[in-house]
Amino acid sequence: MRGTGAAVTGGCGADGAERWRATARTPAYLAQRATPQSWNDFVSSCGCAAWRIGLPMPLVTRSTWRLIHCALAALLLAAGLAHGAQPVVPSRAVGPATGLADSAALRATVFGTPPQDMAPLPKTVPLAEINIALPWARPVPAVFWFDRKLRVWLSAQPGPAPLAIVIAGTAGDGNTPKLAILRGALYGAGYHVLTMPSPTFPGFIVSTSSTGVAGDLLQDSRDLYAAMQAILSKLPRRIKITDIDVLGYSLGGAHAAVVKSLDATEGKLHIHRAVMINPPVSLFTSLARLDNLFSISIGSGDAGIENLYRRLYAQIANLYRASGRVEIDEDFILSAAALELKTDAELSAAIALSFRLDLVDVFFAGDLYARTGVVVDPQHPPKVGDSLEETARTLRLKPFSEYFSRVFAPYYLKHRPNSTSKSLIADSRLEIIGDALRNDVDYYAQTNSDDLILDKRELAWLKDTLGPRIVVYDHGGHLGNLGDRAQVSDMLDMLAGRWNVTAR
Amino acid sequence: MRTASTLVLLAAALCGCASQQMSIRSLPPDTPAADNAAAAENASELAAAIATEVTSEGGQGSATNAPPVTPADAPSMYTYDPWERFNRFTYRFNARFDEAILLPVSNGYRRLPSAVRAGIHNFFGNLSEVPSVINYALQWRLIPSARSLGRFAINSSLGLGGLFDVAKKLKLPSEPTGLSTTLSKWGMHPGPYLVIPFLGPSTLRDGVGLVGDYGASHVVNVADLYRGNEAWALGAADVIDERANISFRYYATGSPFEYETIRFLYVRKRLIEDEGLHRKALPKKHDVDAPAGQ
Repeated sequence: MRGTGAAVTGGCGADGAERWRATARTPAYLAQRATPQSWNDFVSSCGCAAWRIGLPMPLVTRSTWRLIHCALAALLLAAGLAHGAQPVVPSRAVGPATGLADSAALRATVFGTPPQDMAPLPKTVPLAEINIALPWARPVPAVFWFDRKLRVWLSAQPGPAPLAIVIAGTAGDGNTPKLAILRGALYGAGYHVLTMPSPTFPGFIVSTSSTGVAGDLLQDSRDLYAAMQAILSKLPRRIKITDIDVLGYSLGGAHAAVVKSLDATEGKLHIHRAVMINPPVSLFTSLARLDNLFSISIGSGDAGIENLYRRLYAQIANLYRASGRVEIDEDFILSAAALELKTDAELSAAIALSFRLDLVDVFFAGDLYARTGVVVDPQHPPKVGDSLEETARTLRLKPFSEYFSRVFAPYYLKHRPNSTSKSLIADSRLEIIGDALRNDVDYYAQTNSDDLILDKRELAWLKDTLGPRIVVYDHGGHLGNLGDRAQVSDMLDMLAGRWNVTAR
Repeated sequence: MRTASTLVLLAAALCGCASQQMSIRSLPPDTPAADNAAAAENASELAAAIATEVTSEGGQGSATNAPPVTPADAPSMYTYDPWERFNRFTYRFNARFDEAILLPVSNGYRRLPSAVRAGIHNFFGNLSEVPSVINYALQWRLIPSARSLGRFAINSSLGLGGLFDVAKKLKLPSEPTGLSTTLSKWGMHPGPYLVIPFLGPSTLRDGVGLVGDYGASHVVNVADLYRGNEAWALGAADVIDERANISFRYYATGSPFEYETIRFLYVRKRLIEDEGLHRKALPKKHDVDAPAGQ
């Protein structure tokens, strides 16, 4: 999960030029948080780094359009502006753990850990990319021709060392900026590090999933576990592994814990410890909150999206004019994000929008594989070269609840004869491994009291289940403190078995 | 013979016939400590830049003469792409070519010491001042044109042929422009979206601009670099340097909608940049329902 709903108020009115000048009077505000980690994460997840290459007619190269990814961020960053005038109110009975979805939590969720607060990181970390074809993979649909192989990243120590396997959060690939932070911290502490995509990443769904329908905690973890075995069995012998630990952030945290519990039964990898960083307790509850956040902060239907886009375009264009720059570059995006994403409404809309765009791929792949016919005609699936514009537009309007009711549930109800919609939801709660979490001392968790994806009950359940093996920080929102000194130091203590349970 | 073997290798790579069940490809190492230090520095520079922006009261960026862009001025969410079939084919070809050839080569290049790479990057950056000087003049922006000329003169001499960006240290940062911007300034719309083979996303106007900029560089032919016997090697180095400085990877999104996303963003980015060029009056309002770029 990237983040979820919050009690939000406020709006915005000033046009871009005024906003630029007004906010620019508070440079300290920017200095505090001018590196939007989550924003970069978001941008890279949308895949819009822009570039160009020149072949034999080079020396034409340096033009004004090198960084298309800036455009993505630019067009999306002021998401909240589309709904600026409408106050957003808390809409669920059980609020976030603190009872306060405060601005600090939203800001931390969007902008991430400031660079000055980062834990010490190593100078260099070797990196190798692994592409693997998995024998159980389902036939690859034509439009996913580029996702045939699972892609993971490995940083190997020169000598024998424990291996840390890190799993990305919702829709993240195996090399997200957050994974890069964890990779640095873990490699610096002496681990081999293997980073893997989330089972909700389209590349995973196509290359690795045995169902093609993402979202089932246990099934997705089984696929992950099988992929881990396939990869580790083929690693070069020079990589000496002394121990194996798993960890993951957000939804990847829940996957890590379930993978460890599977391994406890099957014993194929002998996974030692698992650390969950900001995990959800109930996947579907958290996703429902994100749907709610989207409809509140952006609106529903074509008009809501169109309105969002138009306001966004105007805001960015005015801001760009006022800035006097000659091109939209990374600096512009950073300043625009810092300037535009101010109110809780804006931050919330950015979080909701980023999630919705992730869901588009999950929905499409699920519909294609399950042959449920919501947007893809099972008899005539799209071919390479077909336009997918209309499909994308349709999917943008569809909430997660619709994925559940029209793709996920029909598929699993058919394949699990004794299940019901209710049982499917229950099966995707962390409670399915509750006993293991409670009794096995090798499970750990880190979270924040203002994490937006947990409500009070869920946080209480985590605390009660894990006891002294969970650390709850006061602030950080959802993953907004990933990589900071305390988080990294505690994570390393947990992984190494140094976490002093009795003192807590 | 050499050409034939190159073609066979290229075809093999593009077809992916070298594929195996599991492959491990070594990449340039991550540099987290330096990256974080750079992020911290950028954060403070950003704050300082914005503070300066305020005190300079408008400056170059003043939008005083232009009516603000309103939501009604935003182009349609559809993009003008009459050559979509060709473009999609080209996008896919570019993706394969990049994965098989350019990316591995530029990854190798990234293993050179950073000082060497910076020198190479500055060198090519300096050469690109040539079209900037000409195009700023064509846009009737004589001060930036003179600045680009000054940068070229300073970096070519004090910067040892452009290897060092001395002008930046003298507070003359690079602000490149090109023919496509000039055409935009003269009122030309972007036209149809166009994915250029090997080059990537563009529009008809930007494609014409590229050819024009190349022609200008060729005509000026600084130090006989463009017409000499080694011109091809220099060109290849430029391509590799350019690619190595761009973090984009085709289909890293894993998404089948990547073509649509890039098209949407590229054209909006260029349209917003066009808005920035027209500070005195907006271009004539086009049909609001027409696809963006038309």
